[in-house]
Amino acid sequence: MSEVSPRLLATTRGEREELWTETVGDPPPVYGERWTEVGDRRCRLFEPGRSKLAAAVVRGWTGDLPSDGERWLYLGAASGTTASHVADLVGPAGRLYAVERSVRPFGRLLALAERWPNLRPILSDARDPLGYANLVPPVEGIYCDIAQADQLEILARNAELFLRGEGARILIALKTASMGRHRSATGHREAAESFLSEEYALYPAVSLEPFHRAHFMVGGRWGRSARLPAREGPRTRPRGRRPERRAR
Amino acid sequence: MRPTLIIGSGPVLFTIGPESARPLGPFPLDVDPRVAAVRFEAMDTSDVPTRFLTALGAVPATSRLLASPRQLAVAVERLTGRPVEDPTLEELRRGRAALPLPDAVVERRFFLALAHFRLERALRAPEEVLITLAREEERVERSVGREARAADSFVAVPDSPLDRHLAAWAAAREALGDLETALRKTLESEAKLRVPNLSAVVGPRVAARLVAAAGGITPLARMPAPKIQLLGSRRRPSPERGPRYGVLYRADRMADVPIGRRGAFARTLAALAAIAIRADAHTQRDLSALLVARRDRRVEALRRRR
Repeated sequence: MSEVSPRLLATTRGEREELWTETVGDPPPVYGERWTEVGDRRCRLFEPGRSKLAAAVVRGWTGDLPSDGERWLYLGAASGTTASHVADLVGPAGRLYAVERSVRPFGRLLALAERWPNLRPILSDARDPLGYANLVPPVEGIYCDIAQADQLEILARNAELFLRGEGARILIALKTASMGRHRSATGHREAAESFLSEEYALYPAVSLEPFHRAHFMVGGRWGRSARLPAREGPRTRPRGRRPERRAR
Repeated sequence: MRPTLIIGSGPVLFTIGPESARPLGPFPLDVDPRVAAVRFEAMDTSDVPTRFLTALGAVPATSRLLASPRQLAVAVERLTGRPVEDPTLEELRRGRAALPLPDAVVERRFFLALAHFRLERALRAPEEVLITLAREEERVERSVGREARAADSFVAVPDSPLDRHLAAWAAAREALGDLETALRKTLESEAKLRVPNLSAVVGPRVAARLVAAAGGITPLARMPAPKIQLLGSRRRPSPERGPRYGVLYRADRMADVPIGRRGAFARTLAALAAIAIRADAHTQRDLSALLVARRDRRVEALRRRR
């Protein structure tokens, strides 16, 4: 067992490497994921095939991850599959403000929040941050997973209002398939990087293939000349594996 | 002089300035998280705490008042008679940063209450009722069909445990069938009420399914006809053998059109449906007679032209 970050553990099982987040909530599983005890810590399997953040770590993301005790804003939380893991990562002392606009997934997110004490669900449209400006305090980071053509603008508008200050983090799971056919996937990634690098110092982006097709993880810190420390602790192996088959 | 910022932070109100950047407060909206959530969403002048009003009275008349959220600004404007402006993003940002972090327990209870309140309000909207009914009806219809097919191929010897199982199963199927009938009735009356023109053109059930597939009446009204034609289709779009219809395949009168001509009819139907839903969403005019006449004319034309 090794620690990727304080609440993110990696174990090897035969050939395979598996990621686990130390859970904040109690059983039963949120979406049918495996639970285990690693040492004296209760952990939930963080599968790259289910979550873009897990895929990014497996594919060698060297940038920041949400970490213990921080406040994060999560845009596009849907029913909370990844959001539950991000909440695990920020731990009981941290907070995760999760914004979702569609009603039905939000019902499940709310049920999750009843069990996860550090999760704050918000039924609002992330396009209009003023709709929840009075709910969310300044945050250490924003995680954006919105499959919309204007996902970068949405992130920028939220960052302007909610990021704590210089050095605060952004992470965006870029779904290039939602951004139009006028550019290739790589073209979209490059355009996104040049758009964000006006205000942010960026980590090298990683592709999320083969887990999520035409997706990239892009992220960095606010401030063009912000220092970009590499994540402490051992990294997982920077290569892809075939995704595990999804449970039906 | 620095402006005075009046700011709501979840369940509590604060004022900042003009003399110092230190916030004055907190002034809780209510001890009960549910009441606080309702007040946060729709603040009325009577919802503003008295202690907060007293604090506001001490603000010098020369100081500009800024307030966020909007409903708080409106309430304060009404109560004090002084003009209240919206803060700029930067002012709002700095204001938020100056506030103390909320107590975790109070904050959590408030968030959950607010989430429940917003969710219930959203689900009570007539459109959401229609969408949910359409989904439920589709699901129940599928299970009725599945049970019926399974029953068809089930053989039981008389007076055996299997036979008794068959009897219990038949009762369950009947109950499911009753549920479907009731659901369909509710759905149809709801669809005729909300989207009368569309219901007339394609039938109420398909109308409801179209609305559900589009995610609402307004999104459907914004769609071009070709997109409506393919709503709910599963086949992959391709130049050689793309889908011709999705939800529309089950529309009224589709069955009267010869099989080879159904794609053509789907095009017409989609065009008429696009007009119908726009009338339903925007003008509330009754175009049903006109649209139905056109639809039926097209059916006749397609039947003649074999």
